Amino acid sequence: MSDVHWLTAAELSAAYAARRISPVELVRALLDRISAHDSKINAFINLDATAALDAAREAEKEILAGRARGPLHGVPVGIKDIIDIAGLPTTCHSKLMLDNVAREDAPVIARLRAAGAILLGKLALHEFATGGPSFDLPFPPARNPWNLDHHPGGSSSGSGAALAAGFVPLALGTDTGGSIRNPAGSCGLVGLKPTYGMVSRRGVFPLSFTLDHVGPMARSVRDIALTLDAISGHDARDPGSAAVSYRLSGAELERGAHGLRVGYVRHFHETDMIADSQVAAALDEVARTLKQEGATVRDITLPPLHEIAGVQRVIMQAESWAIHAAWLRKRPGDYAESTRRKLMSGAFLSAGDYVHAQRHRPQMIDAIDAVLREVDVLLTANTMDPACRIDDAESLARTYPRQARSPFNLTGHPALAMMCGRSKAGLPLSVQFVGRAHDEVTLLRAAAAYERATQWHTQRPPAF
Amino acid sequence: MKSAQAGFDAYALAREAGLEIAASEFPADVAAAAQAAAHARKAMPDLDNVVAEPWPPMRIRNVS
Repeated sequence: MSDVHWLTAAELSAAYAARRISPVELVRALLDRISAHDSKINAFINLDATAALDAAREAEKEILAGRARGPLHGVPVGIKDIIDIAGLPTTCHSKLMLDNVAREDAPVIARLRAAGAILLGKLALHEFATGGPSFDLPFPPARNPWNLDHHPGGSSSGSGAALAAGFVPLALGTDTGGSIRNPAGSCGLVGLKPTYGMVSRRGVFPLSFTLDHVGPMARSVRDIALTLDAISGHDARDPGSAAVSYRLSGAELERGAHGLRVGYVRHFHETDMIADSQVAAALDEVARTLKQEGATVRDITLPPLHEIAGVQRVIMQAESWAIHAAWLRKRPGDYAESTRRKLMSGAFLSAGDYVHAQRHRPQMIDAIDAVLREVDVLLTANTMDPACRIDDAESLARTYPRQARSPFNLTGHPALAMMCGRSKAGLPLSVQFVGRAHDEVTLLRAAAAYERATQWHTQRPPAF
Repeated sequence: MKSAQAGFDAYALAREAGLEIAASEFPADVAAAAQAAAHARKAMPDLDNVVAEPWPPMRIRNVS
């Protein structure tokens, strides 16, 4: 088989069953590809080739013996280096954590192993899942395979870059203010922040306890669904874990958009924050496509974007300060400049500010729940601009907060970003869909219908 | 330094928070952090309901 590096997890599973390729052949092909290209992309912090090949041999043996465990059996996954894999360092892309070797797997990793997935290694991120692309850290920042001079988005930057470069078919990211959906959008992928509590956060270095989510990134909606099936579930030792089970049948993804009620949150990018005209046009085109596919689309009004984002920022600044205060007091020079600036913010907030923000939270959750009783999913901007140059600090600082992702970290609703076009410069543009809490099924159905109608997910970075 | 936008002495507050090293070695970062906090605080709307409860609530323990 040629171009095996572009196969999705679902396609790989079928190819294994038909004996068209084996897990060992695939892992070898991916390792060759990583060895050829990752010096330019910097997606991996720690490539665990030996363990990956051992796991591939084991998977191959089981599949050949007729003991296939399911659709992720023998499928390689890249892991954001903020999630513990037993025996490997969890560096958080930081000088402060270089020697932090994990003693046990995070539950999300244990679940992937149980599903037969192959852990290929640890992926780059923005330091401690905040900050930005930094050149003053022990590892270089990941770059965007669509244009190596551009930012891949973050903070799950290595996850986005590895998927877009064809290094892995699946990756895990984390999302506190949009860190799965930003790189998914910038790298032309699909990224899901599940409902808060759907996926265990234990064994994942926290950034903000009440905003942190773990979720899948992939090159197709079906792969997102398959990965969510594997990693979701109650964890009694994670105080933020929901006692709800998730299971998506393939039939749901095939249902299409007919009859789906879509609420278009136009004011986020038209009045609250003016999006780049290419982004705005692409979003209108998403609405038009969904209508053509049989959905009803109508404009919906939520609280102003800057108000929801402000509440989210106060909570994130206060909680991340609580985590990092001791290190910031003693070793501020060990952080990258951009991380230090972000993490110190919480020192300038009062206890009253934090409680005030948390008191706003139920009102904002109620406001979004209320509109989601009238419609099935929301359509919003993801990021307001195409990815900027990675070395342009001014553009990075200007465009980073120009997004509509953080509201759904605050409210905990599931939110998915996916490609919806390309800019004049050839960079991916993206849309965000938001669903009801614990209704990933409808959210993924809408995304799958859009994906099928447009086929943006089949586009690849020209140089790769 | 009196931060014009933040409206308070950011360095004094930083020292108060134990950030003496950062205040002396990275003064621009301290000022930027103070400003970011002030922006976030300012973006929050007023609360209409003075008795609104925070979310998430205190974790309850049930008696069996």
